[in-house]
Amino acid sequence: MSSRSPRDVVIVDGLRTPFTKAGTKLKKVHPADLGKVALKELIAKTNLDVKSVDEVIIGNTGNPVDAVNVSRVVALNAGVPQSTSAYTVHRNCASALESISNGFEKIKSGTMDVVLAGGTESMSQMPTLLPEKFQSIYEKLFAAKGPGQALPLLMQLLKADLKQIKALLSGNMKDEYFPVISIMKGLTDPFVGINMGQTAEILAKEWGLSREQQDRFALRSHQFAVKAMKDGKLREEIAPISLAPDYKETIVEDIGPRDGQSMEALTKLRPFFDKRTGTITAGNSCPITDGAAMVLLMSRAKAEAMGYKPLATIRGYGFAGLEPERMGLGPAYASPLALKRAGLTMKDIGLVELNEAFAAQVMACQKAFDSDKFAQEKLGVSNKIGEIRDDILNVNGGAIAFGHPVGATGTRLVLTLAKEMRRRGTQFGLATLCIGGGQGGAMVLENEN
Amino acid sequence: MSIQESIKIVDQGDVAVVEFDLVGEKVNKLNTPVMTRLKEVIGELRKSKYKAVIFKSNKNKIFIAGADIEEIKAMTTKEQFEKAVSTGQSIFNELEDLPMPTIAAVNGACAGGGCEFIMACDYRIASDDSSTRIGLPETKLGIIPGFGGCVRMPRIIGLQAALDVILGGKLLNPNKALKAGLVDRVVHQAILMDQAKIWADEIIKEGAEKRRKTFKPKGAGVILESFVGRPIVFSQAKKTVLKMTHGHYPAPLKAIEVISKTYGMSDREKAMKIECEGFCEMAATDISKNLIHVFYLTEMVKKQTGVTGVEVHPKEVRAIGVLGAGTMGGGVAYVAADKGIEVRMKDLNFDAIGKGLKHARDLWAKLAKKRVINPYEFKQKMDRVSGATDYSGFKNLDVVIEAIVEDVEIKKKVVGETAKNMRDDAIIVTNTSSLSVTEIAQGHPRPQYFAGMHFFNPVHKMPLIEVIRGEKTSDETIATIFELSKKMGKMPVVVKDGPGFLVNRLLLPYMGEAAFLLQDGMSIETVDKAYVKEFGMPMGPFALMDEVGLDVCVKVLKIFKKSFGARIEMAESMNKLEGSGRLGKKNGKGFYKYDEKGYRQGVDETVYADLGLSTPKDTLTTKECIERGVFAMVNECALALLEDKIVETPHEVDLAMIMGTGFPPFRGGLLKYADTLGTSYIVDQLEVYAAQGRARLKPSNPLRAMAKTQRKFYS
Repeated sequence: MSSRSPRDVVIVDGLRTPFTKAGTKLKKVHPADLGKVALKELIAKTNLDVKSVDEVIIGNTGNPVDAVNVSRVVALNAGVPQSTSAYTVHRNCASALESISNGFEKIKSGTMDVVLAGGTESMSQMPTLLPEKFQSIYEKLFAAKGPGQALPLLMQLLKADLKQIKALLSGNMKDEYFPVISIMKGLTDPFVGINMGQTAEILAKEWGLSREQQDRFALRSHQFAVKAMKDGKLREEIAPISLAPDYKETIVEDIGPRDGQSMEALTKLRPFFDKRTGTITAGNSCPITDGAAMVLLMSRAKAEAMGYKPLATIRGYGFAGLEPERMGLGPAYASPLALKRAGLTMKDIGLVELNEAFAAQVMACQKAFDSDKFAQEKLGVSNKIGEIRDDILNVNGGAIAFGHPVGATGTRLVLTLAKEMRRRGTQFGLATLCIGGGQGGAMVLENEN
Repeated sequence: MSIQESIKIVDQGDVAVVEFDLVGEKVNKLNTPVMTRLKEVIGELRKSKYKAVIFKSNKNKIFIAGADIEEIKAMTTKEQFEKAVSTGQSIFNELEDLPMPTIAAVNGACAGGGCEFIMACDYRIASDDSSTRIGLPETKLGIIPGFGGCVRMPRIIGLQAALDVILGGKLLNPNKALKAGLVDRVVHQAILMDQAKIWADEIIKEGAEKRRKTFKPKGAGVILESFVGRPIVFSQAKKTVLKMTHGHYPAPLKAIEVISKTYGMSDREKAMKIECEGFCEMAATDISKNLIHVFYLTEMVKKQTGVTGVEVHPKEVRAIGVLGAGTMGGGVAYVAADKGIEVRMKDLNFDAIGKGLKHARDLWAKLAKKRVINPYEFKQKMDRVSGATDYSGFKNLDVVIEAIVEDVEIKKKVVGETAKNMRDDAIIVTNTSSLSVTEIAQGHPRPQYFAGMHFFNPVHKMPLIEVIRGEKTSDETIATIFELSKKMGKMPVVVKDGPGFLVNRLLLPYMGEAAFLLQDGMSIETVDKAYVKEFGMPMGPFALMDEVGLDVCVKVLKIFKKSFGARIEMAESMNKLEGSGRLGKKNGKGFYKYDEKGYRQGVDETVYADLGLSTPKDTLTTKECIERGVFAMVNECALALLEDKIVETPHEVDLAMIMGTGFPPFRGGLLKYADTLGTSYIVDQLEVYAAQGRARLKPSNPLRAMAKTQRKFYS
């Protein structure tokens, strides 16, 4: 066991909402309300005196237009005092790992003692926008003085509408009149212009990962997730959410993991991104999802003073950048940093949560971790990072089953990892994920028991 | 000296600012010394150099609360009223007649005489603060506006709107007042005086003219205000009032009469005289005295802590828990979260919690739809309520209200379990209606932190809460629950533990007697109608039993029989109710029929046969029907108050009966009513009824003793 210090940053506890496939049960729940449920229930579960909270930091990528600093809205809705500050962080897929690392730094430095961190995302509610062609008309229209000026502009608008209908009928998304679907834009790399799925295709080809291997991994994810669900493990980290306005239905479980998922069904799916030579399907990728996750962070001294028995200590974290078109390998760049800062190597790690954006991407990471060549060429060190054995990787399933609500996943990984480390008595664990745009993030935890 | 300080003229160049700040009082009110001083000030202003006057209050959240009720209460003769009212009228006339324009800058409560004051000014500007409320609540006290309110209001805001304000007796918020035209401008409180001064300067610049109180109706109003339309407006108003009051409240009718006589009258003095006569006539009625008495009772609660004799400090309650969601839990959640208290509901499953959440949400949704609250307030309120199937969050709760099944053993167990999951200094209360608080307290490891908090159904509507002191309940616990009840906007009454506490103990003999009336050949509708139309109850005893639940009535009657013995008798028909499948409103089958939405329809005629009764012949008089029920309550009350000391004063009985059962306020409460009739009359009547083989109606010893010495409950 590494030495303990009063300035250690501990995770007291955490909770999340059920993760539900976008467009299903939670589609009408605002991201601020998803966050509220997770945070309010975490406060209740820990019987936290909210006056002790120094700051609320929440990750989010969708940036809801009616709650632009969604963290503040979540905090107030959850009953955190108005005098407590709150801000939102955005690091794409790792936004909710970024929020924890922000909290970690503030507590580690002694600036703060109690931080509520997490993430929230409603991918169902990411908006569809009007293309630039319309915006320029609206701009002039809102500035128009009198019907004389407005009428020709309204005619232009009518013409644009007709052109949009034409574009919609042709299905040509590149048409400049086609509506901007923000979730599609968000999943396209703005630097190299390829979709996240296509980055996974690159990894699949470069690392020689067959369709069958990927489908098998996807099957494993579902099977492990369903087992964890049935064993009641997930109940420990999920706060039920009752649906307004009549509250007749309460969602208590994730909607995503499929009991009875078969290889046959996975094999039948057509490649989604590269229809001709591709191997990435909707079945071996994570679904777009709604959900929120929160953790309570404290300095060890404060946690002890308040009588808490924390789950885990954060030993270190790291973020790193790489080629955007190979973003899926991010964990292989970020993990060595986090391990180094924790003073550990992969040999010390007994459990890994590596986010399953795509089966191919996870498997590529496994190979990279185990490759001296990769270490030498990409990391500039002589020895490989170290193997991630199958039996310690995503033992309760992953995002292929649960889904990946982009701004919330980071915290979910940390929470799931900490809980499983507690169950198994694992001393050290690693949570890591790839980040759209070409980055990786990682965090190393130590069990408190 | 001090009265000089209470109304001061502050020189601001061309403008005089007159500041109201009644020395030694929290509020500004109009009493004789204040009115005398006001007359003096007006006299000074009349002779002054000022080109405009602004009136303001230096009190926080109060402009002028109205006339001093204390003074009205002390007056008895017509001459006293006449003198006070005509003096007030003439002072306000002088105010109206000041040579320079006057502006009232209103922040805070501006009611009754306060409202009449600003109407005698030329211009009115109000703050948009939530404390700013303007209107004429006089009819609620059984009187009518007497300082020119009946005369000026229709001239300022129009006939229909004035009738709404005066007859409803409701105070308007700033925006409603602006819309009605009662105020001319509404601004933020922080800039109220700046804006008033800017306005005064503008008025001076434009020639400092007085405003003439002529009224020009707009739109449909033109027809309604015309000579053709007016009679329709008045007769419609009268019809509405009669429908709502069954003729028990003469003040709104008098107001209509005064307004109809004075509206459009050019002779101000004559109009004022008519108003004065109307006021004096109303003020002299017992009804007004009773309504003022009830007002007093409610004011009394505001000042109390729930504990007498010692000084106690209630603990702050920020968050509460409710055990048992459902309609009761949801209702409690609603009244608490509505006032800013965090609420945690706990039940066995999320279906039950969902029902509670929905109940609260639906109530707020109604307010949001009516725009009483905005969508943001709606969401904030709803977000204060959460639910769980475990005790998570209970260490953060200050009070937990238990509203689970009425079973003493289960309650004891749950209370003990809950206490283990809470802080040591947190309070648990039971919402039981039929069990002993002291007995349930045995389940609590620290019974000083345990009490009863009995809400009445439906929680969001019924203002009464019985705060029940168990044997070991501490003063601090009582004070905390008393304060919490007030914070929830309710009227708490502290009662001692005992079967039925206070209200149900009195109601049971009353409902029981109704069943005997049925047996004596009375029909359900005749009895209920007698109580509603003749006596003024909001609903008759049979409708009430349906609301409570017939199974509950039978169950509680049995408990009473066990506790009190022979003086509780149960009509044969009540026994037959058991097992008849009639539960009342909750299963849509009781003395009445109910539609799918639960609205009461006609009497279920099959009930007579079911209860083994022949077709009713309605042979008894209305008087007997009412007296047997009401006197049964008085009889029981004499025991509860004087022998068992369930409450300490007749005031508490009357407040509880009015707030908990809707006992007609114009009768001043059960004991005020008993005092009006005289205890000897009641004893005599009870003897008569008891002699006909109704031992249960025998006058109780304490009541007999009172009758013998001609004593009243209020001594």
